[in-house]
Amino acid sequence: MIPTDPDELTVLAGEYVLGLLDSAQSREIETALARHGALREAVFFWERQLHPLSLLASPAEPPAGTWSAIAARLQPGAKAAPDWWNTAAPWRWSTAGFAAAAATLVLYLAVAPRAPAPVLVAALHAPNGEVASWVAIAGTGGFALTAVARENPPRGRVFELWGIAAHAARPTPLGVIPADGALRLASLPSSLRRGASLAISIEPPGGSPTGQPTGPVVFVGALHAT
Amino acid sequence: MDQPASLSSAEVLIEAVGRGSQLALKRLYVLESRRLYGIALRIVRRPEIAAEVVQDAFVQVWQNARAFTPERGAAAAWLTGIVRFRALDAVRKHGREVLTADPALGDAPVEPDVLAAIDAKTEAAALRRCLELLDDNQRRCVMLAFVDGFSHADISGRLAAPLGTVKSWVRRGLLALKVCLQS
Repeated sequence: MIPTDPDELTVLAGEYVLGLLDSAQSREIETALARHGALREAVFFWERQLHPLSLLASPAEPPAGTWSAIAARLQPGAKAAPDWWNTAAPWRWSTAGFAAAAATLVLYLAVAPRAPAPVLVAALHAPNGEVASWVAIAGTGGFALTAVARENPPRGRVFELWGIAAHAARPTPLGVIPADGALRLASLPSSLRRGASLAISIEPPGGSPTGQPTGPVVFVGALHAT
Repeated sequence: MDQPASLSSAEVLIEAVGRGSQLALKRLYVLESRRLYGIALRIVRRPEIAAEVVQDAFVQVWQNARAFTPERGAAAAWLTGIVRFRALDAVRKHGREVLTADPALGDAPVEPDVLAAIDAKTEAAALRRCLELLDDNQRRCVMLAFVDGFSHADISGRLAAPLGTVKSWVRRGLLALKVCLQS
């Protein structure tokens, strides 16, 4: 958990920037950064202030071939898309379950007067299900994902949200969903427009260690413009 | 780098990378790879592993460039953070002992007197002044962690001090640094 005490927050952010936290703790910080202003401020403070220390490492020429190796990894399709790719693709789900999902979404919009002005909305449901379990709204006021059916990850695991831009080779991590089922972000990456999809996978505590889904995708939905 | 600074600064290049420009990423590599490779090498000690760290870091920059905001501070600090964390991952994966067991690789962690080296180079005068106000152990903890990528346990071994003592030095050092840097 992210502490509220200013000194505790200063120390935690400092230990994070120094690299003294373990992987799970570091991922928890990275996940919380998007929605926790005081934490963000503390982390950025240490990044800026300690950066001159990096000058103590002498610059050196990387081995020949380093850039080529990087460039090879940027090619779309250099890594195979995950197995669930076809499942998450919007054209696979947008017919069968959509009516039920849309009904849920309308209900949610009606009872959520404080939600940001909707621009993009999505209803997420199990790949073979018909009833939406989550709704997402992205607008000028930010992005909000809310559980509309009580879904819990398996014990010792968490739900993580992913965005898949249209024609993208790989999903973008959007954050671990807190236990209360509500995830808010300041904004969605600009690549996630109409035609993009959202997906939720089951991951170890703190989220996927690889930056890509490692567990099964359990909910999917496409972003629609309103 | 014949272009004006405004066209080749890391901030501008990262913004272009965020829009999907591979050319901008390559220019960022030309601009920053020697510095970042040096940081990685300092932490992981082995050239082949440091090269992998730099690869991973630039792929991460490619994927996450849109996450960079000026609010975060200088682009150089953001890039440094990415390389350091990938280097720390490599140390966790390979083990500090494996990486430092070879005497030919050298093993000379930073000591307080090298603070002088950072003085003239940047606007780091405040950081240097504040680090000098810390007691020796607190300062060593901060520098061993940041520059050499040492964990609490690594520092504990290096300074021959119990783990709990090291954690307390880090904590008190950070709090004192914060007060000094904000004054």
